[in-house]
Amino acid sequence: MLRHYWPPTKLRILRTSSGKKVTNNKRVNKKDVAKLLNEWSGEFTVFVPSRDEGVTKWTKWDGEGASFLDWYRNTVVPPKAIFLPPMEEMFGFHKDGKGCRIELPASSKQKPLIFGIRPCDAKALAILDMTFKDAYEDPYYLAKRNRGVLVGLGCTNPYDSCFCTSLDSSPTDATNVDLMLTDIGDDFLVEAITDRGRKLMAKTSLAQAAGETDEVRAKKAKEAANSKVTRKIEAEGITEKLLSCFEDKDYWEKIAAKCISCGICTFLCPTCYCFDINDELVRNRGERFRSWDSCAFPLYTKMPMENPRQEKWRRLRQKVCHKYEFYPLNFEVIACTGCGRCIRLCPVNWDITQILDNLPAEEQLKPEKC
Amino acid sequence: MAVSDISYRPRFLAEGNVYLPHLAVIEKTVDETHDTRTFHFNFKDEKLREEFTFQSGQFCLLSVLGLGEAPFCISSSPTRRGHLECSIRQVGKLTRALHRLGEGAEIGFRGPYGNSFPLDFLKGKNLVFVGGGIGLAPLRSLIWNVIDDRDRYQKIDIIYGARSPADLCFSYDLEAWDKDKTVNMVTTVGKSDDGWTGRVGLVPVVLEQVAPSPKNSVAIVCGPPIMIRFTFPVLERLGFTPEQMLTTLEKRMKCGIGKCGRCNIGNIYVCRDGSVFSYAQIKSFVSSEY
Amino acid sequence: MNHKEMEQKLRREARALLEQGKVGYIIGFEAGSLKFTTTPLITSAQEDTSRLVINPFIANNLSVFLTEVKGRVGIVVKGCDSRSLVSLMQDKKVVRDDVVILGIPCSGIIDLSKVEELVGKERDELDNIVRDGDRVVVTVSGNDREFPIQKVLYDHCLGCEFPTPQEYDILLGEPTLPAGDSAQAASLARIGQLKDMPAQRRWKFWRSEFARCLRCYACRNICPACFCQRCFTEESEPQWLLPVPRWQENLMFQVIRNIHVAGRCTDCGECERVCPMNIPLRSLTREMYGIVDELFHYRPGMDKDAPPLLAAYEATDTEDFIR
Repeated sequence: MLRHYWPPTKLRILRTSSGKKVTNNKRVNKKDVAKLLNEWSGEFTVFVPSRDEGVTKWTKWDGEGASFLDWYRNTVVPPKAIFLPPMEEMFGFHKDGKGCRIELPASSKQKPLIFGIRPCDAKALAILDMTFKDAYEDPYYLAKRNRGVLVGLGCTNPYDSCFCTSLDSSPTDATNVDLMLTDIGDDFLVEAITDRGRKLMAKTSLAQAAGETDEVRAKKAKEAANSKVTRKIEAEGITEKLLSCFEDKDYWEKIAAKCISCGICTFLCPTCYCFDINDELVRNRGERFRSWDSCAFPLYTKMPMENPRQEKWRRLRQKVCHKYEFYPLNFEVIACTGCGRCIRLCPVNWDITQILDNLPAEEQLKPEKC
Repeated sequence: MAVSDISYRPRFLAEGNVYLPHLAVIEKTVDETHDTRTFHFNFKDEKLREEFTFQSGQFCLLSVLGLGEAPFCISSSPTRRGHLECSIRQVGKLTRALHRLGEGAEIGFRGPYGNSFPLDFLKGKNLVFVGGGIGLAPLRSLIWNVIDDRDRYQKIDIIYGARSPADLCFSYDLEAWDKDKTVNMVTTVGKSDDGWTGRVGLVPVVLEQVAPSPKNSVAIVCGPPIMIRFTFPVLERLGFTPEQMLTTLEKRMKCGIGKCGRCNIGNIYVCRDGSVFSYAQIKSFVSSEY
Repeated sequence: MNHKEMEQKLRREARALLEQGKVGYIIGFEAGSLKFTTTPLITSAQEDTSRLVINPFIANNLSVFLTEVKGRVGIVVKGCDSRSLVSLMQDKKVVRDDVVILGIPCSGIIDLSKVEELVGKERDELDNIVRDGDRVVVTVSGNDREFPIQKVLYDHCLGCEFPTPQEYDILLGEPTLPAGDSAQAASLARIGQLKDMPAQRRWKFWRSEFARCLRCYACRNICPACFCQRCFTEESEPQWLLPVPRWQENLMFQVIRNIHVAGRCTDCGECERVCPMNIPLRSLTREMYGIVDELFHYRPGMDKDAPPLLAAYEATDTEDFIR
């Protein structure tokens, strides 16, 4: 069971006197989406999918239209980049002589509204929350996340690399968003999932009450979308399997052979969060930055006298086991939502689903203390 | 094995932001060896100077602003307030820059982080400290802590060695512990020089010769990984159980609070759940990479 | 010989090499887990050789794995890959006797992003892509669409001067002729456009391209010429570049990388293929390749006994500071 940070409040289902179910769901015409985004831009910084030289990512809405709805399936760069950017200034400082003066960072007042986030990416944010709230709260991530609103959009056309249905999610899973949109042709069905979402819809005049045909269409659309995910893994017992084959050096060496240890899978993964911290000083003014880092890089664990993960197979083992063994041991959830970006974008087509479905059985293990 | 609760640990956040360092001024430096120096420093902020506390075994992240930050164990004892001490060996960009700083220079301080030596578990027991080289730094905090509270503990054996007499750290403390009649101080070197009249031998070998009894004892081992790897089997031969062996583990660290990911061993983070571990805990790690 | 026949021959030869103990590993291509992709196959098991494939999607330059796999290796290479392999021999990273080279005379690799753009659909929405001589037939929703092959091959394939491997032990087909002049011109079209831009505009272009770079280092790691054990980006004393993905640092990284691989880069185009941010990296590497040819009349990977260009000197060299 995923512990999410903002428990969704289920809305009451009203029954009319004839016994028919009437929900509080709304309906928005696709042509009105741009107007809706415009309304929301008053209070929020609206983020939408965009394309830059063919690379799809999340950027601030340019106020123009909602043409992204024509091509949007899922982005290459996940929405985690809004809350945990590839590079972020943590604070600045001045140095003169022997003394230093630290400049406090301006705390972000931005209220991001992510329009069109897919269920896999929304679940990924809930998974990231567990780390950034644990022990010590991360001020930079949480300042934006606490103010953020997620308007989810159910998938209609999953990729052949998607496998969300194996990981407690689906193309229509609304658990981790504030509003959930379902494509029903000319319109979107709008379901309010949290109070925040309900308040957002209450303020606009662009939505009408959803009728029964809308609900029926939505139900059909959801069923169709859910059946389109063809890639599957057996997630049950993965943690235990990895626990038992952790020491099998031969196995890990074999499957790591074609990996090139770049950072693509980790950078574009919506649940990966490892970061590096570095300082820069120019004359007497400087900044401390945090930037995306990857367990695939050898420098990640390098110490002056030794490196516990010098060999590539150890780093690959760390990546797989962190997501499917260590994170579940700590937070009771697999740190993967089946978005498939790692499979689509890997330069050598290394496929996690093939690995997970072919872990060595107990009898085949050759453990060596390594 | 869900993630452990560490909310009880006292925190000293600057402006409520865990990543912001406090500024501290270097008051004094003491050369331990040719490449190791102890820095005595104090917070600029008076209120923090009064309020700050930590436990033996905890570490801090020291910054040379503009160059970076790295983890160092606090080698002074929490029983001796007035200033903090960190002992630093020159091994890279940041540590070399730290060594270039003199009295009056300002550095950044974040901490204290990590868990600490379990004083309640050590109470009423015989303590065997086994240290090598700069590994004495985290032990030193605990040793002075224990000596300052002498009646709570039973016998104290300290077995400490370095590669050569010139590599022995904290020579002034070694002298003091040698003079202390309630402490059995055994110093050794791997290779002697002309002036050396003391023991010669590697620490694990000398430990086996001293052969402290495991009865009601706890061994605390800190030193280079190779020394630890040879010391644990000696302790096992002497009859110590894995629960009776404590050590500190080192990893590359950046955030110090279990977020940046790099210091993990399996599902635990050395910065958050360590750096003090018992050998029993280490054996139960889901990963053998420690 | 068509692809199927080449494939059968490859599988036979590879299996024989393992059976006879002539090599410890075979490095080749097998079908990928996604439509129209292939993936490297690195195996010591004879039965795995039946999975080896040859088709228009074998994009990877497999010589990048040679600096890791130990012992004698049988490796499958196309024209450009074989030159990377020979370049590694020139640098003494690979010993000639340790490799059995299974050469594929290459007629070009299909760039899926070009197909996607022509057809307006993404890879997983296509039914089939079949090459038929100098045409390619793309089937979408049951309908066939035909394009000239020039429209869908990678840029670097269009201008390929040496499609048949330079060095090989077993040639898996008839040698292929190099591309004609018009195809070569098409290959350099993008670079030509950039060179035609006035300097300010070109600078703005590269600034915005490198603003997207994430420093994933896929370009560096996939490149056979980048074989340094420790890359300059990993140094801290001195710290050449911060690992922060600012456009300034990203641009400097790529410029320095190009200078480091000058004289070793064989224009295999892998860097541009793998970049997840679609940065036109080949424009830089191909330009460097052209500069090396112009200044030194040197093409990498042609002669395994030739000294590497920038790691050797002659007494007759123009520069006299070395005397």
